[in-house]
Amino acid sequence: MSAPVVLLPGDEVPHDRLPTKNSNPLRLGPGLRLLSQPSPKAGDSNHVLTATQAGLLTTDAKRNTVSLLSFPNRRYVPTTNDLIIAQIHHSSIDFFHCIVTPNTAHALLGQLSFEGANKKTRPMLKQGELVYARVQSVGVGAGAEVELTCVNPATGKADGGLGPLAGGMVFDVSTGMAARLIRASSASADETDPVDGLIILGELGRKLESLGGFELAVGRNGKVWVDCSNAGEGSVSVTVAIGRCLQETDQHNLHPHDQKKLVTRILRDMKLVS
Amino acid sequence: MSKEAQLSVAERDFILEALRQDVRLDGRKPDEYRPLDISFGEEYGHVNLQLGKTHVIVRISAEVTKPRDDRPFDGLFNINMELTNMGSPAWESGRSNDLEAAVTHTLDRVIRHSNALDTESLCILKGVSCWSIRADVHVLDYDGNLTDAACIATMAGLQHFRRPDAVVRNGQVIVYGVEQRVPVALNITHKPLSVTFHTYNDSKHIILDATLKEEQAAEGDLVIGINNAGDLCYVSKIQGAPVDAMAIVTKTSVAWEKVKTLNATMDKVLQADLAKRAKVGMADESRATNDREVQPE
Amino acid sequence: MVGPTASLSILQRADGSATYKCPATGYTILSAVNGPVELPGRRDALKPEDATVEVFVKPGTTTGGVGERAIETTLKSVLGDIVLGREKGFPRRGVVLTLNIVGGENVERGDSYLTLLPALLHAGLLAMISASIPLSMTLSAVLLGVTDSGEIVQNPSPAAAKSAVSLHVLAISSKDHLLLNQSRGRFDFDTWELIRARALSICQGAANDGDVAMGEGTNTASVNGFIRETAEDQIYSAYAHKLDSI
Repeated sequence: MSAPVVLLPGDEVPHDRLPTKNSNPLRLGPGLRLLSQPSPKAGDSNHVLTATQAGLLTTDAKRNTVSLLSFPNRRYVPTTNDLIIAQIHHSSIDFFHCIVTPNTAHALLGQLSFEGANKKTRPMLKQGELVYARVQSVGVGAGAEVELTCVNPATGKADGGLGPLAGGMVFDVSTGMAARLIRASSASADETDPVDGLIILGELGRKLESLGGFELAVGRNGKVWVDCSNAGEGSVSVTVAIGRCLQETDQHNLHPHDQKKLVTRILRDMKLVS
Repeated sequence: MSKEAQLSVAERDFILEALRQDVRLDGRKPDEYRPLDISFGEEYGHVNLQLGKTHVIVRISAEVTKPRDDRPFDGLFNINMELTNMGSPAWESGRSNDLEAAVTHTLDRVIRHSNALDTESLCILKGVSCWSIRADVHVLDYDGNLTDAACIATMAGLQHFRRPDAVVRNGQVIVYGVEQRVPVALNITHKPLSVTFHTYNDSKHIILDATLKEEQAAEGDLVIGINNAGDLCYVSKIQGAPVDAMAIVTKTSVAWEKVKTLNATMDKVLQADLAKRAKVGMADESRATNDREVQPE
Repeated sequence: MVGPTASLSILQRADGSATYKCPATGYTILSAVNGPVELPGRRDALKPEDATVEVFVKPGTTTGGVGERAIETTLKSVLGDIVLGREKGFPRRGVVLTLNIVGGENVERGDSYLTLLPALLHAGLLAMISASIPLSMTLSAVLLGVTDSGEIVQNPSPAAAKSAVSLHVLAISSKDHLLLNQSRGRFDFDTWELIRARALSICQGAANDGDVAMGEGTNTASVNGFIRETAEDQIYSAYAHKLDSI
C-alpha cells in the first residue's frame, strides 16, 4: 500500500488516492466535501474533493468510500445510524429529552420508540437513566433536532441490544477510541488479527471468562457501558478493572503489546488474579 | 449552559456501591492522592501542576504600589482565579460560578488569612510604597479537587518566586533589575495546605482527593487547612450531609500526615529546580567571563 | 534563529487544544476549543444559519481588560472567516476558543497586542484543527518590524519591537489570501509592499523574489509548513495503530 496521506483543511484529495474501479457512486465520509461539479467530458476522475478537517485519508475500495480519520479527542457530532449511549435529561408528553454530549442541545427520543412499546407499555425512564440508541435523523438546517430511536424501524425489534441500560457502569473514552471499540467488537470473535491495533477486549474476555464474563455496549459519543452482574461478589472490581483498562489504553494510545501488560497489571492490582 | 453534565443514575449507584466495598474507580485507596506532578517554568513563580487529570498553572508576579491607608506597614497579596472555558466546557469564560467562589474563598482563608506570606516584609517605605504580590491561578483541566491542586500550586509558586530587590535611598525607592542584583525570595512564615474530603453513604465513607465524578456523587465535603506543625488554620463544612465530630478529628490527623508528605514532595522539586538554575547560572557566568577575555583582542 | 514549537491535543477536557511557543518573542500560548456547544443566552440570534465563534484571551498575570477585548474581536473575525459554520451540527452552535498567555512578558494595560497576534492566531488555529472544527483553509501569520535603518526584522523581540519604526502583522491563508493586515507606526506604500512580499515568503515559503531571499537566509521552512507538520505529527501518532498495519 502507498504512503499514508494526511490532509489539512483546504487540501485537495489527490486523484490517484480515490478508489477507481467501482461502478457504485463514491461516498464521502465526514471531513470531506465536494467543491465543484465534475466536468461532463473528462469523466468522474475530475471531482474536486477538499478536506475540511485535518486527518488521515482512508479509502475503502470495496464499499467505494473515502473518508478522513480526524483527531480522536474531538467532540462527537451526531450522525445518522450511529449507535450511542444517551442519558435521559427530562421527559415531555411525546419525547424523552436526552444528553448525547455534555453542553449541547438535547436529542429527542420518542416515548414509543422502543421495542413493543405502546401507550401502556412504554418504559417510564427517569432523569439520569441511560439508553442504548441509534441516531435516526439529524435534521437539516439550523437548529434542527437530533432524533434517536431504540428500535429498528424496519423490523420493530430492538436489534443489537437497543433500549434502556439497567445497572452497570459507564466509562468515558475518546470518540476515536469508541469508534475503534465498535469496530473491534463487531469483528467476529474468532478473528485472530487485532482490529485497529486493539486486543484489549479479547484479552479481557479471556482473562475474565472464569469470573463470569462481562457485557459491553459502546456508544459512538464516547461512552462505554459495562455490566458484570454475572461476576457476583467481584462484579464491582471486575467493572472497575475493565474501565481502567479501556481508559488507560485510550489515554496513552497503547500498543497491543502494552495492552496485554496493562491487563495483567490492572487485574493483579484489583486482586482479580493472583 | 454553565453546569457540568449530571451524573447518570448508573454512575452514581456504582460509585456508591464500589465505595461500600472500598473500591474507587481508579483503584486508589480512600486516603490516597492521585499522582502529583509539579514542574516550573522559565520565570520565577511559574508552576505547572497536575493532580491526576486536574491541571493548573500558577503564576506569581510582583509590582511596586502604594500600601493601603489603614495598613501603612503592610504589602499587598492577592490570589486571583478566573475559570474559563478551557478547564471545562461547562464553564463560561468571563463569568464567575459557584466553584470559582468556593475555591477562591478557601485559598484566601488557607493561604492569605493564615498569613503564610508575611505581608509586612513587603513594605518598602511606610505608607508610601510596598510590593503587591499577585498569584494567578489558571485552570487548564478540571477533574475534581481544584481546591487542593490550586493550593499546592500557589504555595509552590510563592516559595519559588523571586522578586526584584528594592532599597530606599534618601527617601527614594530604587528597584534593581534582575540582572543588577540577585532577586529576593519571599518571606514564607509557614506552609499550610488544604486537604479536601468528600463523604458518601451517610458519611460512612470519607475519601480524599475526589475526581469530578466522585465529587458529583458525594453527599457532602469537608475541607481542612493545616500546616506542617499541625496548626489547623481552616476547617469548612459548608453544605451537605452532617459528618460525625470524631470523623473530623480522625480526618484532621490524616490531613496533617498528607500535608507533611505533600510539603516534602514540594520541597524536593523546589530544591531540584533551584539546583538546576544555579548550574545554568554558573554556566552563564563562565560564558560571560569568556566574553570579557575575548574583548581586548 | 530558533523556530517556534507547538503540540496538539494536550488537554483532557477540552475538545481541542494546543500549545504554541515562539522563542523569538518569548510568548507561550495555551489554547483550547470547545465546539460545537450550546451557547448560553441567545447569542445565536444574529446569524441563525451559522456557527458563532467566541474568543476569550486571558493574560498570564493580570486581569483582562480593554486590550484583550480588542484583540478578541480581531481574532474572532480572522478565525471566524475560515470556520465553515454551516457544516452539519454547527449552525446555531458555538465554537468557543480560549487563549491563555502562560509565558512571556505581560502586555501593559492599554498597550497594543500586535506583537502577540501571530502567536495567538497560530495557537487558535491549531486548537481548532485539533478539535476537528470544519475549516475552509488554514492560515499563517507573521510579525515584521521595520528598524530605523529600514531593515525588516522577522519576529522582533519585545525590546526590538518597542524601538521599531513600524510594526506589521499579516495573516495569509494557505491559499494565498491576505486575511489580516494590521500595522502600527509610520511607513510608506513601498515599505508595505516589501513587507507584504516578505510576509508571503515567510508564510508560504515561496522565496523566489530577489530582495526577499536576503535577511535571515537560514529561514528555509515556512510558517505554513510548520503548521502542517505539527498537525501531521499528531495525526500520525494518534493513528500509529493503523499505520503499523499498513
